Amino acid sequence: MARFVISRFIQMGVVFLLFLVLSYILFDAIPGNAFQSLLLNPSLPDYAYDQVVELYGLNEPLVTRVQNYVINFFKGDFGYSYLQFPKTPIDLIAERLPRTLMLFSIVNIVAFYTGFFVGKVLAWRRGSKSETWITITSVFSYTIFYPWFALIMLWFFGLKLNWLPIGKFLYPEKWYDAPFDSDLVFIEMIKYTLYFSILFFLINVFTRNIESISQRRNLRIFGFGILIVLSIFYWNFGKLQEMQTYAGDIAYHMILPIMTVTIVAFAGTALLTRTTMMEVLKEDYILTARAKGISQKRIRDRHAARTALLPVVTSFIFTIVTIIDGAVLTENIFSWPGMGQLILDSVLREDIPVAMASFSFIGITALVAHFIADISYAFLDPRIRIKSQG
Amino acid sequence: MNQQNILEVKNLNMIYTTLEGNVNAVNDLSFEIKKGSSFGLVGESGCGKTSVAMTLMQLQADNAKIVSGNILFDGQEMVGLNEKDLRKIRWGGISIVFQGAMNAWNPVIKVGEQIREAIREHYPENTRSENTNKINTLFKMVGLEPEVADRYPHELSGGMKQRAVIALSLSCDPKLIIADEPTTALDVVIQDQILKEIKKVQDDLGLSLIYISHDIAVIAEMTDYMAVMYAGRIVETGKTKDIFKNPKHSYTRMLLDSTPSIIGDKKMLKSLDGEPPSLMDNFSGCSFAPRCPEPSENCSSGNAEMGLIKVGDGHFADKCCVECG
Amino acid sequence: MTEVNTLKESRKENLKKNFNRFKQSKIGMTGLVIVILFGVLAILQPLLFLSGIWDYKTYDPVVGYDAEKYIAEVVVCPDEYPNERYAERKECPGRNEVTLISVKPYNPGIKEGDTIERFRQPAEPSGKHLLGTDSLGRDVFSQIMEGSQVAFILGLLSATLSVVISTILGSIAAYFGGFIDSYLMRQSDLLLMLPSLPLLFIISAFTELQVWHLALVLGILGGLGGSVITIKSQALQVKVKPFVDSARITGGSRMNILFSHILPNVAPLALLFMVFGVTGAIASESVLSFLGLLNIDMSWGLMISVSQADGYINQGLTYWWLVIPAGLSVTLLAGGFYLVGRGLDDVFNPRLRKR
Repeated sequence: MARFVISRFIQMGVVFLLFLVLSYILFDAIPGNAFQSLLLNPSLPDYAYDQVVELYGLNEPLVTRVQNYVINFFKGDFGYSYLQFPKTPIDLIAERLPRTLMLFSIVNIVAFYTGFFVGKVLAWRRGSKSETWITITSVFSYTIFYPWFALIMLWFFGLKLNWLPIGKFLYPEKWYDAPFDSDLVFIEMIKYTLYFSILFFLINVFTRNIESISQRRNLRIFGFGILIVLSIFYWNFGKLQEMQTYAGDIAYHMILPIMTVTIVAFAGTALLTRTTMMEVLKEDYILTARAKGISQKRIRDRHAARTALLPVVTSFIFTIVTIIDGAVLTENIFSWPGMGQLILDSVLREDIPVAMASFSFIGITALVAHFIADISYAFLDPRIRIKSQG
Repeated sequence: MNQQNILEVKNLNMIYTTLEGNVNAVNDLSFEIKKGSSFGLVGESGCGKTSVAMTLMQLQADNAKIVSGNILFDGQEMVGLNEKDLRKIRWGGISIVFQGAMNAWNPVIKVGEQIREAIREHYPENTRSENTNKINTLFKMVGLEPEVADRYPHELSGGMKQRAVIALSLSCDPKLIIADEPTTALDVVIQDQILKEIKKVQDDLGLSLIYISHDIAVIAEMTDYMAVMYAGRIVETGKTKDIFKNPKHSYTRMLLDSTPSIIGDKKMLKSLDGEPPSLMDNFSGCSFAPRCPEPSENCSSGNAEMGLIKVGDGHFADKCCVECG
Repeated sequence: MTEVNTLKESRKENLKKNFNRFKQSKIGMTGLVIVILFGVLAILQPLLFLSGIWDYKTYDPVVGYDAEKYIAEVVVCPDEYPNERYAERKECPGRNEVTLISVKPYNPGIKEGDTIERFRQPAEPSGKHLLGTDSLGRDVFSQIMEGSQVAFILGLLSATLSVVISTILGSIAAYFGGFIDSYLMRQSDLLLMLPSLPLLFIISAFTELQVWHLALVLGILGGLGGSVITIKSQALQVKVKPFVDSARITGGSRMNILFSHILPNVAPLALLFMVFGVTGAIASESVLSFLGLLNIDMSWGLMISVSQADGYINQGLTYWWLVIPAGLSVTLLAGGFYLVGRGLDDVFNPRLRKR
């Protein structure tokens, strides 16, 4: 086990190094550089541009620059943002990341639970009329043209019904006298979401061995209710109490993007669950369960869905990686200033340190996610567990 | 329904609907099983034995249709019974020891838990420790250690899995057990042990048993009564001893001849040429005629009258063969 | 001779059998119908032009021009609402009205109450233009058909390329194992790490992406990415089957085994990937052209982008023909291919068939 982890980490290290070099070369290949706008400024003398370029070492050969960057990277020095000096890439990421995380963690959780549930039910009703049209609806939800859909949602809920705000993540007027930075509020909200999700997950895990299905479901609903009550107390405690309105403002702005993305995201999970479940249903042990006289519902949930969980969970972990990818589009359309916008911006304007840092962040996340997926597969399937120990 | 019988099948007809046409899997099948006896069902692969077994518990495939006939279990008509009542009878009245125990278990749930699940379904008032005791008793009966309950299926050997399947089948005190080729995948030594276990359990608990196999030797050892199936029909039925002493149908005779015997002279083994017929065609007359070594005029031309007639006390065989010899 | 014929025949029979099975799947058939519909649209356009039913001047999706003429009344919008003519400020000028201020500079003698001939663009759907025209007077229906061509070409090209690459690589990884396997897996990892949208941004920044280039890029990126891993695991399952061993024992060379045994068994999965690949390619192309990164004259994504830029989406359903058809087309065609893929799944995967 230890050997596997070590060799894997070494491999990951090598890949990451390659990744860094490749990314830098790619960024460099984009014609021009971040400071070209200086040339357009009539009040600056010509040599200003040359000086800046030399200052940042942008006129040195590519090999030297890549070398310097990689060495500095592993020393922990990520440079300064070209365009937002003196902020470092870390500053910028720390500022933007919570915003994106807030949005997409909720989306992923909701999409996963709904998707799994729908997929489970869908596979069970194979061959029935409802299966066909629900599947077709799910497919079209999955392939819906995302920018178009987002724009229509914006128009419908924002303009036509005027229920939800059209962009950004807060009303600047409301925050005029705020004692808090929006970043702080975001971090608090993320902490809260984390606590809530972990507790809810634990409730699900601890009740999974309860004998009867109805008892288990009631217990979980009861647990959820308790969490809601606890939440109310949580937000009325000390500093958080003052934050309430501000957090509420942010939450209000989150509703539309979350709704839009969830509709598209849940379909993917639903379809994957459906396919996996359908394969599982052909297994012999499903027949055994029927022969034992067990109810259809229990067979579906306890036997089929349980086994179908494996590949769905691993794909879920991979979708975490594509959060940032999806974020680019979403944040663009909803004007949500998060990681996605940061990447887009830095790439288009050639702010290389920031772009490199963001890419590295995504890269590391992808590698780690892949690693976690492999491990959790072993954890969920006892057959693999034994093999790796023996 | 005769009170002495635990199961009566009357004129059962079943088809599978497929893209290529209808497959007549079971044709005009009738047999009875007396309480406490063991009944063997013999035939080649594909003759319909497993279809019959599944149908008894109404677990047939989605594209299977019972065209006509009755299945009476302990006085209760099974065909067309509603799901709720069926679930009570499944395992509580009739249970199965599956062919290929390897796949009968859910790989991610412990063995003991899967047995417990069945017991909980039929005896919901039991406490956890009562069930644990029951499982331990069952395991002892089949020769397994109690620790096996905490294992996952892939941690057990083939023989252990098979014994566990037997334990599983007994867990809800059924009256009738269907053993569908339970030892096919095991080596002869284990096979012998398992067979002895099954017989012991049956005697101890007074159960009725249906033993399905293509191995006629095993049938001889395990059963009191038997039926020979060919192409979805029963061609001969009666007391096992009678049939072995005096087989009347050509097919039965070929089956017996193709099994080596330890006693008597060494003879050349006769084997059956050809394959079983496709069950899709609607044929008239004797379906065995193409492979019969001594068909009569009527048999090959398809004019033979089918139907079981009495040959001896409780011994029935297909009319045509009896008459043409 | 007869053996060869029977082999061909049995292949044909097999094909027919599989197609019958496919017909069984309602999902697959729905998808197929949709795909065929759009295919017809794609082919229809050049036919209409060639046969003369449509003339280029009016109907060309990029440079055609036609506008709806209508007679408008010149009005002056009052300051207070509601009044006897209008209930709200929004209603002035009305549909067939035009304000005096806007036409006076070009028509000095005009006064309130006069009528003037105007061109309306975008024009509403009519008999002449089934889906109306856009703000530049171009026929929307023709644009949809053009977009359909783009989608098909791009989708099929990049998906085929991607599948060919990943199938070969995956099979090689499975068959040869060892170092080659590790290398290919890490290569896929590397590609998985790169965020696709920003990557496409970068590529479009230093080359001008045309449809063919995009197809190539998408194909290669897709082929080298995660699908290699999936194909490899499928090929692994084939590799351990006894007939592969027997092929080796009877002296088959490695390449021979690879091509005549492993590849055919991986083919169904590859076909599936290809169909799903088309879905992805269509989606990617639409997003890219929506964001303006594609050097392309006309595509569905571009139509939405233009509608958005001109502000028509914010007017909701008033200009529905500029908003709904393009987006719907992307959704439907991408979805159609996906449904076909699901239907194929039922055919090839015996475990999924209804018992």
